[in-house]
Amino acid sequence: MIPQIKISHYIYGLTLLFLLSLPLYAESDFVVAVMPDGLSGSALLHVGILIFMFAYLSSSWNILGGFAGQLSLGHAAFFGIGAYTSSLIYVHTGVSPWIGMIAGAVIAAIVGYGLGFISFKYGLKGPFFALVTIAFAEILRLLFLYFDFTGGPLGLLIPLSSEYTFWEYQFLEKEPYYFIALGLMVFGIIICAIVSSSKFGYYLRAIRESEEAAEALGIHSMHNKMHAVALSAAMTALGGTFYAQYTQYIVPDDVIKIALSIEIILFAVIGGSGLVMGPIIGTFLLVPIGEMSRIVFEGGGAGASLVALINEEIPSGEKFIRYLEYLSSGGGGGLAILLYGVILILVCLALPRGVLPAFHKIGMKREGSS
Amino acid sequence: MTKSLLEAKNVTKRFGGLVAVNKADMSIEKGRITGLIGPNGAGKTTFFNLLSGFMQPDEGEIVFNGHRINGMRPSNICKLGMTRTFQIVKPFPELTVLENVMIGAFNKTGSTQRAKEIALDVLELVEFSDQAKMSAGALPVAGRKRVEVAKALATKPELLLLDEVLAGLTPTEMQKMIAVLGKVRDAGITIVIVEHVMAVIMSLCDHIVVINNGENIASGNPQEISVNPAVMEAYLGSDFNAQSVIS
Repeated sequence: MIPQIKISHYIYGLTLLFLLSLPLYAESDFVVAVMPDGLSGSALLHVGILIFMFAYLSSSWNILGGFAGQLSLGHAAFFGIGAYTSSLIYVHTGVSPWIGMIAGAVIAAIVGYGLGFISFKYGLKGPFFALVTIAFAEILRLLFLYFDFTGGPLGLLIPLSSEYTFWEYQFLEKEPYYFIALGLMVFGIIICAIVSSSKFGYYLRAIRESEEAAEALGIHSMHNKMHAVALSAAMTALGGTFYAQYTQYIVPDDVIKIALSIEIILFAVIGGSGLVMGPIIGTFLLVPIGEMSRIVFEGGGAGASLVALINEEIPSGEKFIRYLEYLSSGGGGGLAILLYGVILILVCLALPRGVLPAFHKIGMKREGSS
Repeated sequence: MTKSLLEAKNVTKRFGGLVAVNKADMSIEKGRITGLIGPNGAGKTTFFNLLSGFMQPDEGEIVFNGHRINGMRPSNICKLGMTRTFQIVKPFPELTVLENVMIGAFNKTGSTQRAKEIALDVLELVEFSDQAKMSAGALPVAGRKRVEVAKALATKPELLLLDEVLAGLTPTEMQKMIAVLGKVRDAGITIVIVEHVMAVIMSLCDHIVVINNGENIASGNPQEISVNPAVMEAYLGSDFNAQSVIS
């Protein structure tokens, strides 16, 4: 067992308090002065919501991909199932998305069981299971584009309710979404912590390490893996409903895209997959870096043309800066994305097991020397 | 004859044209240590895989404790009370020794606390408590073999199948492991052991089964086996004549 660093509990507790109180002073003069332009008030809460949602999704993935070691590259499928189930139910029957959310989770779990059964029945492992999950998500995306009842490529607009109540899961302000997302994330952490310390969690780790050895010790590897897919899928679907309610508009190319599946995994892997807090740490590091670099570099250069820039007679140093500005404005793919990619590569090279295990190592060393 | 815990009758396993195990019979009696020996490639590990459910026999019947276990998953066989170890040990390398053993212990309990208690008891039994917090992947061979036995013991089996748990150990380590196996037998657990180290087999086993080319060629107590002509032939060749060597 990884020794629990006492300090970490204080840090997690204080962070939670800070996050709970953030909406109170998101618009204060201090925050406006300290944060980069445009990253205060509701924009700041928006970043918070993104972080919580991705941290939650990444935690959900962690149960299957981290604990059980079954690489799913198609979690966007379950996200989409959650988003579409609750939204379709709401659009057609007016039943609260809170109920629809449960329905979405149940459907995702059933689909997860089916996907797990087919894959594991035929012994698909590692990259082959990953391929099946990609194919599954892509097929689902194409089906959702094809059918009329999903709104097809035009997407599904969630009608505004006449009143903004909690029961309708619609709000004018960002604050309620902020707290719901925070609640989701805490829920995700609690589920992961319970799984991690339970028989189920131990069995999943055993399967990840050696399926044969696990089977020899009385672990029905197929059943346990199927439970892991279903639980992970159901949790991801809850996140899908939240996203649909937050954006009020969903379209297959947005909620079932591969990029989303990859992003979810990225946070877990960078933070430390297979650990309860790994995905959370990963998300808290990467989303702000991504958002900050986007906001910081997106100021100037908009509308500049590369040809005009090259022909302009200015010192080459200044030209280079202008070129960077050009890139950052989205010209050549965007400097923000480039920077983000460089940071990702550096983290992967320096900490191949993720950020959190590196901290644990430091903690263990300190314990050992004292 | 005492009641047999495991009964294999006429068990055959073919890999294409090769008959790895050919109409082998085996009867394991409760409370004893049975040695399964044979030259390299005799089919010992295949036979083990058949008994523990990792392979399915093409013919024959295997009955454990009154249950016909042909076609059952290894995990279900383990639930019935028969657990095996692997010749090439399979620890859960990222986990600690204690967690490795706990995973075995969960076979008979749903509580993490209880699993931890069982695991600590088992580690005490195999004299490995001081390494409980080590990562299993960082252990040397002797330690891995000890963990392999501990994991299997933690499932609380009635019958323990040990596949070469002494191979690759130094004489001192071997002595320690033999002591552990003695304690396991004294705890009332029946053992079947595959081993190449004859000295160990002769001193440890109550009963020995010899297989060669997938066929059961002899069985009996160590004294009987050591003078059995068929066994000598299997190991040393047909031209060998014990008398001529002595004279």
